[in-house]
Amino acid sequence: MKYNSQRVAWWFFATCMLLFSLQIIYGFIMAFAHVGLDGLHPWIPFNAARATHTNLLVVWLLAGFMGAAYFIIPEESQRELEWPRLAYVQLAALVIVGVTAIIGFHLNWWEGRKFLEIPRPLDFLVVIDVLLFIANIGMTLWKSERKTTTALVLFFGLLMAALLYLPGMIPTANQTMDSYWRWWVVHLWVEGVWELIMGAILSYLLIKLTGVDREIIEKWLYVIVGLTFLSGILGTGHHYYFIGTPRYWLMIGGTFSALEPLAFLGMAWYGISMAKRGGRAHPNRTALSWTVGCSVLSFVGAGFLGFAHTIPQVNLWTHGTLITAMHGHMAFWGAYGMIVLAVISYTLPLLTGRRLYDAPSATFAFWASNIGMISMTLAFAVAGVTQVVLERRVGMEFLQVQTEIQVHFWGLILAASLFTLGITAFIWNFIQHGKPVGELDTSRDAVEPAVASAPVVAAPSGAE
Amino acid sequence: MLSKSAARTFFLVGTGLCATAFILLTLDTISRVPKQSHEENLTPAVHRGKDLWDSNNCMGCHTLLGEGAYYAPELTRVYDRRGPEFISAMLRDPAAMYPGQRQMTKYGFNEAQIADLVAFFQWIGNIDLNGFPPSPVLASSAAPPIAGAAGGPPDDGRPRVFGQICVACHTVAGRGGNVGPVLDGVGDRRDAAYLNRWLHDPGAVKRGALMPKLPLTEAQIAELITYLSTLRARQVTP
Ligand code: HEC
Ligand code: HEC
Ligand code: HEM
Ligand code: HEM
Ligand SMILES: [Fe+2]
Repeated sequence: MKYNSQRVAWWFFATCMLLFSLQIIYGFIMAFAHVGLDGLHPWIPFNAARATHTNLLVVWLLAGFMGAAYFIIPEESQRELEWPRLAYVQLAALVIVGVTAIIGFHLNWWEGRKFLEIPRPLDFLVVIDVLLFIANIGMTLWKSERKTTTALVLFFGLLMAALLYLPGMIPTANQTMDSYWRWWVVHLWVEGVWELIMGAILSYLLIKLTGVDREIIEKWLYVIVGLTFLSGILGTGHHYYFIGTPRYWLMIGGTFSALEPLAFLGMAWYGISMAKRGGRAHPNRTALSWTVGCSVLSFVGAGFLGFAHTIPQVNLWTHGTLITAMHGHMAFWGAYGMIVLAVISYTLPLLTGRRLYDAPSATFAFWASNIGMISMTLAFAVAGVTQVVLERRVGMEFLQVQTEIQVHFWGLILAASLFTLGITAFIWNFIQHGKPVGELDTSRDAVEPAVASAPVVAAPSGAE
Repeated sequence: MLSKSAARTFFLVGTGLCATAFILLTLDTISRVPKQSHEENLTPAVHRGKDLWDSNNCMGCHTLLGEGAYYAPELTRVYDRRGPEFISAMLRDPAAMYPGQRQMTKYGFNEAQIADLVAFFQWIGNIDLNGFPPSPVLASSAAPPIAGAAGGPPDDGRPRVFGQICVACHTVAGRGGNVGPVLDGVGDRRDAAYLNRWLHDPGAVKRGALMPKLPLTEAQIAELITYLSTLRARQVTP
């Protein structure tokens, strides 16, 4: 840590840990409801549990991105944050809005559109809050002499994410158009601008952790985000097959979305090859595992499993079944959950001055959560395929099919328990690090190895 | 080798072209959707129904147009599949239509609100969805498809109302729900008089009967009795 104001990142990351834990609890509530244990129904009906589960996910990921930006932007632009106090106010506001929304869900107060359940008045507060955040990092960047590609891509990703929240508020009485605009938010976020954010954080971590030359890493960053938009914008069409929009979307959406995995393949290749080239010089191996793991699992979850149901002839059968839930879990985890945990793993020792990346809890957290999530994906996959065959192809009644696939939800619960153990270990490790008391690191080498501009650096760290 | 500025140009040009194409296609879509979704039938009742749908987050359990949650039935074609009486009864008291099953929230809607939701489902059911939901292709090899699900008139002599309401709870020839008993062979077990009383009010025939009193017309009951009497053991409809 080189700048005092970077410290605020810790508070964002602590918020992440808290909201993530709550998200998991709500996941279990839904999984138990699926096997018939819905005793909580009078207080937490399924739709409340679900809205809470997915909104907490989005809020903790956004908090993670913001924390990452508050750490990365000062470092890249080599100056303190423009308004450090504002960052704390903005975090508090985000938490208050989030908590209000979640209490509202339990009282049947919402907008009732998947992923955009937050009631309208709160939507405006979210936008204002995010704009304050953008202003803060934007000014920091603007006033700096040094505007790196990584910082710019991160900034524009976050700015576009804020702006793309707006189409979700266009009023319409027509369900088809409602759905049309909803995807401008949901799809253009996860398969568009969030990939910019992910790519930028990935590139920052690779520069820091591998010591490969910045010019090379940032060049490939452009190629990857170029591929993202080339396929992802028109790829939105893969949600316009069966909602009452013209038929040409089947061809356009099918073709372009089939190319989307290329961007993720790029990320996977990027992570692996840069890590190899850099000879893994950095002592924080845990952070490198999360970084490379993220680049690989994002390809599996988003690229491979997304491709599996994006062709119109397949999507006709799988549209709106548990197959989508299978893909949603692995994609969100691999791409966005893991990038946030990667950035936390990298920054925590710098923020707190403690180096616990070799602790057994850190290694266990990585393996247990990833094996757990892969198994959860398999459980959803088996349930989903069975559902498609029995309900869509054979024509059995919905509830009868649900009884047939109940056993796979027990499998899901088992796998989710392993996942939860891993996350518990991660949070334990986080708590062990303590609060951000780290000294300002003016000598620049206490934890990080000196990174020269030569393409490959194998400077052994003094820390070990 | 590719230079960094070439990579940046690739990014900027690619993004610009695709974004432009996307916006043009969006304008075209906006101009075509009213026809494809039959916006001329989008009455104020449908609009109110949509507001109820949204403000209660029904999508947090159900899917509609294939979007939503995977906990409760897909409702795009529910108007066709179940008919207005069943849907209304369901919204008055979900537990009455599916006793002891996975729970739906009991909302306490008034009759006007129920009518709005039914109008909403009817409107949704008429949107041209490019072939979604598909009819089950493997169904014919096993047994006749559920009448309502296929949309057209049933071909094995079962009345339309049977395919809409009764199959939700009863199985015939291996097809249907499992809330009530299997009805194959009911023609042997019960005579027309019994069926007549039963269908008018199950509670009057058997105290604490688990089947709800359904909103059936006299004509529908007559039709149903004729059909149920044909369901004999050992000659299950193929
Ligand atoms: C807590 C979850 C939940 C919520 C919220 C919910 N439903 Fe349901 N709904 C169900 C379940 C589960 C079923 C399947 C029948 C059963 O088990 O009760 C169902 C069945 C139905 C059916 C009959 C479908 C069929 O094919 O037989 C209709 C119609 C329906 N719901 C409409 C609605 C409407 C309208 C709303 C919002 C006002 C709504 N539901 C909200 C869970 C829910
Ligand atoms: C909500 C679920 C439900 C619906 C809808 C339903 N039933 Fe039933 N039905 C039952 C249950 C449960 C029983 C068993 C009642 C009992 O024994 O208490 C039953 C019993 C019967 C019986 C008596 C069977 C016997 O062997 O004694 C007949 C006949 C019958 N239903 C016909 C119908 C017809 C025709 C329809 C459509 C108009 C229909 N049911 C709709 C749940 C339902
Ligand atoms: C990190 C990136 C991604 C994430 C987080 C993600 C997440 C999700 C989620 C949550 C849904 C359900 C959305 C809803 O119903 O509201 C969804 C749907 C879908 N995704 Fe992705 N996705 C990603 C990338 C991809 C890619 C690259 C593809 C294609 C190659 C893809 C193909 C699809 C398809 C076809 C659907 C629609 C499923 C249906 O018809 O029900 N996704 N995705
Ligand atoms: C660990 C325990 C978890 C359990 C038991 C769990 C379970 C579930 C269940 C049952 C659903 C609802 C499916 C339905 O509608 O019927 C769901 C939805 C969802 N969960 Fe989880 N989940 C867990 C963790 C996670 C994590 C860690 C993530 C993200 C990284 C996540 C992301 C999602 C998403 C995106 C959806 C919406 C999927 C869709 O609409 O297609 N969940 N989860
Ligand atoms: Fe998408």
